[in-house]
Amino acid sequence: MSIQVRDLTHIYSEGLPYESVALKDVSFSIEDGEFVGVIGHTGSGKSTMIQHLNGLLKPRSGSITIGDVDITKGNVLMRDIRRRIGLVFQYPEYQLFEETVHRDVAFGPTNLGLTKEEVDQRVIEAINLVGLDYDEIGERSPFELSGGQKRRVAIAGVIAMKPEVLILDEPTAGLDPKAHKDVLEMIKKIHETQKNITILVSHNMNDIAKLVDKVLVMEKGRIAMEGTPRQVFSQAQKLKKMGLALPQASDMMNKLRNRGFDIKEGILTNDEAFVELVRILKPDIKG
Amino acid sequence: MKTKFLIQAGIIAAIYAVLTIILAPFSYGPMQIRVSEALTILPYFTPAAIPGLFIGCLVSNYISPYGVIDMICGSGATLIAAAGSYMLRSKPVLVPLPPVVANAVIIGLMLHYAYGVPMNLFLIMAWIGLGELIACYVIGYPLLRYLKKYKRIFE
Amino acid sequence: MIRDITLGQYYPGDSWVHKLDPRTKIIGTFVYLIALFLVKDFWGFLIAVTGILMVVAISRVPLSFILKGLKPVFIIILFTFFINMFMTKGEVLIGWKFLVITKEGLYNAFFMGIRLVLLIIGSSILTLATKPIKLTDGIESLLGPLKKIGVPAHELAMMMTIALRFIPTLLEETDKIMKAQMARGADFESGNIFKRAKSLIPLLIPLFISAFRIAQDLAMAMEARCYSGGENRTRMTAMTYEKRDILATLGLIAFVATILLERILI
Repeated sequence: MSIQVRDLTHIYSEGLPYESVALKDVSFSIEDGEFVGVIGHTGSGKSTMIQHLNGLLKPRSGSITIGDVDITKGNVLMRDIRRRIGLVFQYPEYQLFEETVHRDVAFGPTNLGLTKEEVDQRVIEAINLVGLDYDEIGERSPFELSGGQKRRVAIAGVIAMKPEVLILDEPTAGLDPKAHKDVLEMIKKIHETQKNITILVSHNMNDIAKLVDKVLVMEKGRIAMEGTPRQVFSQAQKLKKMGLALPQASDMMNKLRNRGFDIKEGILTNDEAFVELVRILKPDIKG
Repeated sequence: MKTKFLIQAGIIAAIYAVLTIILAPFSYGPMQIRVSEALTILPYFTPAAIPGLFIGCLVSNYISPYGVIDMICGSGATLIAAAGSYMLRSKPVLVPLPPVVANAVIIGLMLHYAYGVPMNLFLIMAWIGLGELIACYVIGYPLLRYLKKYKRIFE
Repeated sequence: MIRDITLGQYYPGDSWVHKLDPRTKIIGTFVYLIALFLVKDFWGFLIAVTGILMVVAISRVPLSFILKGLKPVFIIILFTFFINMFMTKGEVLIGWKFLVITKEGLYNAFFMGIRLVLLIIGSSILTLATKPIKLTDGIESLLGPLKKIGVPAHELAMMMTIALRFIPTLLEETDKIMKAQMARGADFESGNIFKRAKSLIPLLIPLFISAFRIAQDLAMAMEARCYSGGENRTRMTAMTYEKRDILATLGLIAFVATILLERILI
């Protein structure tokens, strides 16, 4: 199942004195099973765009085809869209409201109209998938949990709906380094086991470089760049002009290269940087 | 007056106004089933809700096109109702009652004399009372029961 | 969706009316409203209409904008109009089954209708040409003398200021919560009253928790800046009466006098 977005345009407060163009002729496609990263300055339209993908917002013009359904057509039921596209907002723990973790995670699947048995089954699966112990926290109040745990429960709430596409908006925002790492690994694991399309919106270039197959760079409501992480992050100047950073490793390697070291291009992760540095500094050690 | 009290009141006012705005079509029509009226159960949890709801109503009416008369009468009714609810807080079932009565009477009088609605005064009051009954008991009372579990956020 | 709702009806501008001291405007509005109830016939309304149109003109708020603001209330106005027309007893003009229009009914309908419209336009001017925060200052100041009988003017004004300050923030929060729950399949739009009421719980609980979390942060911030209540507090921009306030007050007195004269003489 793939996603095709064509000429998506969205204008806020159209006709009023303070109208603003949030998206202008955005077009891209995502293949089945791809892991896509979306980066861009604040205000570039990232949040607006992902809200279109699960039908929360309707575009002024353009089309979004998911699988073989054009969801921008009037006759599409929102419920069916949200069944297939899961969206995890920033700071999702603020959406928790139920008395127990189980009931909160059950909210989503229950709304899909599944039987109680199916719902319970999904709840347990989802909680385990996010790396929490169901027996330990299933019956506790979500408000007693730590920040990182709450975050995972919130994500479980969306995963329990078994969406074909999982969109995450800054899932690691506000987490301490360990929780950050854990959540990232969790996302990777989910993508690999569920084999669905995963879209990750993030400001963290390191995360993006590590995980995704394709990067979409947004600026002022348009897609400014598109390509593999290596392709996108090799254009340091262009990114800098848009106010975007590089992955730490890329940045450092570029700086070393500018000082005369013979560093190869396209380094993205710390691991790759390590191997390259070993090659430069101790050429007789095999990497 | 303690800072915390002031702030709680201000926030309750903001929530009231926000709910009225968001569910706007419902809130300003002739039936005036204001979902924010469900908040009239808040005095059960904190006395800061008395000025809070009063000001919330004031601000909501400020935004509404009805004008100053509605602002005074509606908010006045809310204030009296909130005080009443606070006093009845030992019996949760009765907490939503003062708003129903206060609004029915005061808004009824306002509609009849200020707006000149030539219907029988008691009919008007009954009509308003019905709308309030729905908002306060159907939405408000379950909200009360639910929020009881989260009482600690009011500390 | 929510971004499209403008808070309050403030129409930015720097007309004379905008610049008037908020206290003048508040008192003016009240006097105008009371005067409207002193009017007993259509001649009186003519005076009122002239007066209010003059104020609208000076405020430079487009009349079309004001009338557009009447749209939501239009139903009420129509409702009042027809109820008065059909349900007032008196000398029958036209009749058709039980829908009877009487002379008194027609008169009342127009009278009440016009008064309602004038009431609304009049109070609209206040909110259109006064920033909410200035209005709060004005109210605090006017209630000041009542402190002696225990009315906590400063505290009320502070609560109102906090409320106004947080309405946009909470609107955003509510928007986020609504969207997050809708992404999980929540439905706020369909169903009967009971279903819809129940569907609000996933919205209200997180909203309350967020709001009170914000409240706690604010309490800490205020105390960290040594806020300790209203005694001896000063403000950054003081409210002062200018020449235009005196002129406005004179105009107001003239207006009321005219209304009273009309009532006595005609």
